[in-house]
Amino acid sequence: MSDSKTGVKALDSDKTKPKRKLYVGTQALDYRRDHMEVISPLKDGVVVDWDIVDNIWNYAFRQRLLIDPKEHPILLAEPSTNSPLQREKAAELLFENYKVPALFLAKNAVLTSFASGRATSLVVDSGGGSTVVAAVHDGYVLQKAVATSPIGGEFLTDCMMKSLESKGIVLKPRYSFKKKEISPGEYQIVDLDFPNTTESYKLYSTRAIAGDIKESVCRVPDTPFEEAAYANVPMTPYELPDGQTIEIGADRFKVPDVLFNPSLSQTIPGMESIADSTSLRGLPQMVIESINKCDVDIRRELFSSILLAGGTSSMQQLKERLEKDLMEEAPQAARVKVLASGNSTERRFSVWIGGSILASLGSFQQMWFSKAEYEEHGVSYIQRKCP
Amino acid sequence: MSFRMKNASSGMGVADHSRDTFVELQRKKLHRYVIYKIDENKKEVVVEKTGAPGETYDDLTASLPEDDCRYAVYDLDFVTEENCQKSKIFFIAWSPSTSRIRAKMLYATSKSRFRHELDGVHYEIQATDPSEMDLDILRERAN
Repeated sequence: MSDSKTGVKALDSDKTKPKRKLYVGTQALDYRRDHMEVISPLKDGVVVDWDIVDNIWNYAFRQRLLIDPKEHPILLAEPSTNSPLQREKAAELLFENYKVPALFLAKNAVLTSFASGRATSLVVDSGGGSTVVAAVHDGYVLQKAVATSPIGGEFLTDCMMKSLESKGIVLKPRYSFKKKEISPGEYQIVDLDFPNTTESYKLYSTRAIAGDIKESVCRVPDTPFEEAAYANVPMTPYELPDGQTIEIGADRFKVPDVLFNPSLSQTIPGMESIADSTSLRGLPQMVIESINKCDVDIRRELFSSILLAGGTSSMQQLKERLEKDLMEEAPQAARVKVLASGNSTERRFSVWIGGSILASLGSFQQMWFSKAEYEEHGVSYIQRKCP
Repeated sequence: MSFRMKNASSGMGVADHSRDTFVELQRKKLHRYVIYKIDENKKEVVVEKTGAPGETYDDLTASLPEDDCRYAVYDLDFVTEENCQKSKIFFIAWSPSTSRIRAKMLYATSKSRFRHELDGVHYEIQATDPSEMDLDILRERAN
């Protein structure tokens, strides 16, 4: 699965030539180390550092799955807008470094669509790093109709984080304190100082807390957010890891509404420079834009089969609000139906679920791009075998 | 193996009998509807049930399982505004939300290949719950 995993490296700053030691996975990330940076191989949803991807895959195969990739055909789920060059790079890496016996590349949106039983649908995949809206017709992504936005779960988490910080709330990362028992059942917080902690690690740890706050208290409002309307909304309490209890009010609704109105993020101190939000579209706009780029004949069907996928799609009331906004914007005669699996795990991992089943179907086994074919026809043959 | 399949198809085959039964519906009006099922062991799409010409759309919907997927072909007879007798053939991809994801994947990925074997289908409907294949929807499409 080619998704936003975060690799980690430690830069030994004493030596003149930086020697990179890489740590992979959430377990490794949860342990603070001096000079350890948190990095991602992706930028705007596209792989920019294949060396890191190589390390992540190696870790996944050898340390977690405990398999030898030589013995297992690989089904790789790729972004719906993956370029031919990126596909060939992935294929090359897998065949040359890992010696896989066979490979297949499937687009994320297609797997999600199939996993819901549809060959035609409009897939709204809102994940951590970005949101991608793709029209799938008869199992094929209509490339000209894909809309992307850098607004995803991480952007929303940053909005929450900056908003709380601007109100004077300090989110202490877990590594920066410890709880000392001063008498049975009574704890005191002792601040720990780790001057060699990198900024990226501090940010990662702070985001983890803000992310949990977001997931616990946020709800998409029924109507577009307005400061005045929510000025006196009842506050919801949240206990931080250091024991401090904070209260969250309007932010509960303001942060999720950024998905529908990106310019809202500009009103949060610290978020102004993050993105040129004037060019960013909200979810309903992206859906309409995508559908309008498709043939008139299939638009009706797309409006009535809008699928929600990705972690951020589990935001409370997202489905209801999107449906409502679309019913107002869509052409008169169109039936608007937004579908989302009731199970949040299914929503988050719909791509993986679809892929794992596809790869296991008996009838699929003849579709693989084999090592023999790779050696005979070269890497560009993948464009024919996995259109 | 066709390389022109532009999707993540499952490579499922189509039994001759499946095609022949469709032609019987289309040309000889021998059936009102045909329900198809995927036989995983034989790796092909086979006929599960056919409906006599006298049967109705309700008979078709009653024959579809609640929590498993199927393909169906229905011959819709109707009268137009100008009082013309017309008949249109519908292909229905039945994939209820209550069915197992595995079944959904299987039927969704095999659909394109199968559908293209049925030359002469006028309209296609994908339904994940009974309301999506309501007779009114078919009538709307046909007009």
